[in-house]
Amino acid sequence: MVATDQLYRYSHTIGLYSLQGRGFNNPVDVALGEDGVMYALNRAGPEVASRLPNKRVTMCTVDEEYLGEFSSGGMGDGQMMWPSSIALDSDGNVYVSDEALQRITIFDARGRYLDKWGVKGRGDGEFNRPSGIAFDGDDNLLITDSLNCRVQRYTRDGRFLESWGRPGRGDGEFNLPWGIHVDADGGALVADWRNDRVQRFDASGRHTATIGVPGDGDGEFNRPAGVATDEDGNIYVADWGNERVQALRPDGSFVAKLRGESGISKWGQEYFSSNAHELRERQKSDMEPELGPMARGSAREESANIEKLLWGPTAVKLDDEGRLYVVESCRFRIQVYQRA
Amino acid sequence: MPYQDIALLSHLMRRAGFGATPDELDRYADMGYEATVEELLHPENMPPALDDEDLIRRYHVDENGLLIVDSCQTYLVYRMINTSRPLEEKLALFWHSIFATGYTKLNQPKAILNQIEMFRRNGLGRFRDLLIEISRDPAMIFWLDNKDNHKDAVNENYGREILELFSMGVGNYTEDDVRQCSRAFTGWTIRNATHHTVRASQDSVWPYGRLDWQYEYRGDDHDDGEKTFLGQRGAFDGEDVIDIICEQPATARFISRHLYNFFVADEPQVPAWETVPPRDPDAIDMLVDAYFESGGEIRALLRTMFNSDFFKGARFEKVKSPAEMVAGAARQSGGFAFPEVEDIQLALQTGSMGQMLVDPPSVEGWHTGREWVTTASLVNRVNFAVQQFADDTKPGVRSIVERVQARGPGLAPEEIVDGCLELMGAMIVSPKTRQELVDHAANADGDGESSERVMELLQLIVSTREYQMA
Repeated sequence: MVATDQLYRYSHTIGLYSLQGRGFNNPVDVALGEDGVMYALNRAGPEVASRLPNKRVTMCTVDEEYLGEFSSGGMGDGQMMWPSSIALDSDGNVYVSDEALQRITIFDARGRYLDKWGVKGRGDGEFNRPSGIAFDGDDNLLITDSLNCRVQRYTRDGRFLESWGRPGRGDGEFNLPWGIHVDADGGALVADWRNDRVQRFDASGRHTATIGVPGDGDGEFNRPAGVATDEDGNIYVADWGNERVQALRPDGSFVAKLRGESGISKWGQEYFSSNAHELRERQKSDMEPELGPMARGSAREESANIEKLLWGPTAVKLDDEGRLYVVESCRFRIQVYQRA
Repeated sequence: MPYQDIALLSHLMRRAGFGATPDELDRYADMGYEATVEELLHPENMPPALDDEDLIRRYHVDENGLLIVDSCQTYLVYRMINTSRPLEEKLALFWHSIFATGYTKLNQPKAILNQIEMFRRNGLGRFRDLLIEISRDPAMIFWLDNKDNHKDAVNENYGREILELFSMGVGNYTEDDVRQCSRAFTGWTIRNATHHTVRASQDSVWPYGRLDWQYEYRGDDHDDGEKTFLGQRGAFDGEDVIDIICEQPATARFISRHLYNFFVADEPQVPAWETVPPRDPDAIDMLVDAYFESGGEIRALLRTMFNSDFFKGARFEKVKSPAEMVAGAARQSGGFAFPEVEDIQLALQTGSMGQMLVDPPSVEGWHTGREWVTTASLVNRVNFAVQQFADDTKPGVRSIVERVQARGPGLAPEEIVDGCLELMGAMIVSPKTRQELVDHAANADGDGESSERVMELLQLIVSTREYQMA
């Protein structure tokens, strides 16, 4: 099932279902900060009053040390409703895009609210459902303006600089773009979600490549949500609709795919240490059961049945120590892989 | 388009779907009534039910994982509103009401959505096949304890209910038939049953959310001995007893009466059926004949029903269920096609009106008809409907307003009222109600055809007693 061995091997899993505190709730993105601090963004639906506190940013380390949390669901300053993406500026401040509140919210590295900016609209400097965000080398923020089908660049305090793209299927056109990543050359890769492809742009926003076609074969995508590159220029795509991550060469040719290998996280082991009866029954169970006709052949249904598989991968990130992080929105965890 | 055509098609779509917009009715009227019935009966010839399910799963991430019952309810209501296969979805709701399986016991809402998806696939086919599928359905196996039905320790819960509530009805079988039926279903269980039972019993979602359930047949736990069931003898298994059940006239009558109650006119609650005769015995006879002539194909029963005089003459003789009220008003007013933060409010509304989807109150399902209406639920029903027609930026509301205005200018109050009633689904209201509406239109300030005045009338119309009926 896993063919990434030549690139990455499963290391461990971070995460546990939780409403608040240690763990995640529908995590959709993660930002990797200084000193190994991670910021996991929890979208946590549905939007009823009792569940709004579940929306939050969880701070932890790659070794699953829980460091705390900040923000909550709501419309006030420092709150969020449909958080979609998280990124850090060069000072370590935390930026969160919010598709419902149509704004960017800024916190310091410890989670204290600093500022917000953004206006809903279609004009320059306005957006409609800001989804993916990423900083370029000049500390400017790139945003996929998803319903306007374009990419916009702002200074980090919210001054509009430029935009490119329009609705469509041609080069440089988008259909509900989601994740965005800035590569080492300052170019941008965009997960062109509903066009089932990734598009590449140079530092000035000029289209340079289109990668992938619709499908579930090697090098094909079904609603890609997140994208990242490593130091060699290899590309990693959270292939959301196919419930997998694909690795591609810099030219976009297929290298490998990753369907998921999760074991039990440290937090999960702590749960089982106080629920030994459940653990015993789990150990006697077939955790990879044969699937019935309604589930067979559907990657999503396979993921709903087989716990180790990726389910709802929305973001993929890389760190400086050769680790690959895959955020799974429906399994409340981050699978970590180590470069071989 | 002749008013009578629109009236009949509006009636059909309220019953065989969740209502239709004026634009949709225009298309159906061009096709004609019988062709529309055939289109409804063959969803497999239609485009996929939803074009935009990926959008729902992207923006409502909780409706991708479906861990929480609220999320499952919201997803289900979204389908009712936006499906391009109205009868498929309405029939799924019908079977969800008959084979009522509830979240409260299962703690596994996606398993019930999986069951409902099975209803979409099998709901129009042979009743025999549906009974086999429901007998293998993991949620049903859990709900009625068939995972605890063993060769050496028979649990009669499922064996009893398949006879009492799912096929024949009380009075048509003996206690020994229940025993023999239960024996036939031994070994029909779910994989990893003990593990899943432990998780469900403590509502464990740890470490990483829920795990779906899968059917498993365990031959070593199946009683393959001889059984005598409904007068027939053999080494029956579950499929054999379902074959025997489906040969029974009582089964044909029971399922016909359920279909009549859901699609035609309100009957008393199921426990009364043993003593209270059907409202329309001739209609039930006609459906029973269709059952046997077709080999128990639900599509054939529905075709007979929708083309019958008893169906066509039953306009506004049913109280709308909460799901019909919410999905119908939302579909009519429009604006729910694209995911929004507020979508969950629709699902919460059905609950506040007395119908918690995915969580029926018991194995009997929901009590229907006038029992839907209480003092509290009526206020919620009216308030909800009024709220939907308070915004003329909604595409459905805008369409109705523009169609009324296109009949002018200079419409008399009676013409405005009759136009609104027609566009709201050829509604029939009492003379007194109509006069109240006309008086309101006549006394309204300003231009009676203005968007505001027409919306006022629409809001009054959805506040009437008549709008509570389908």
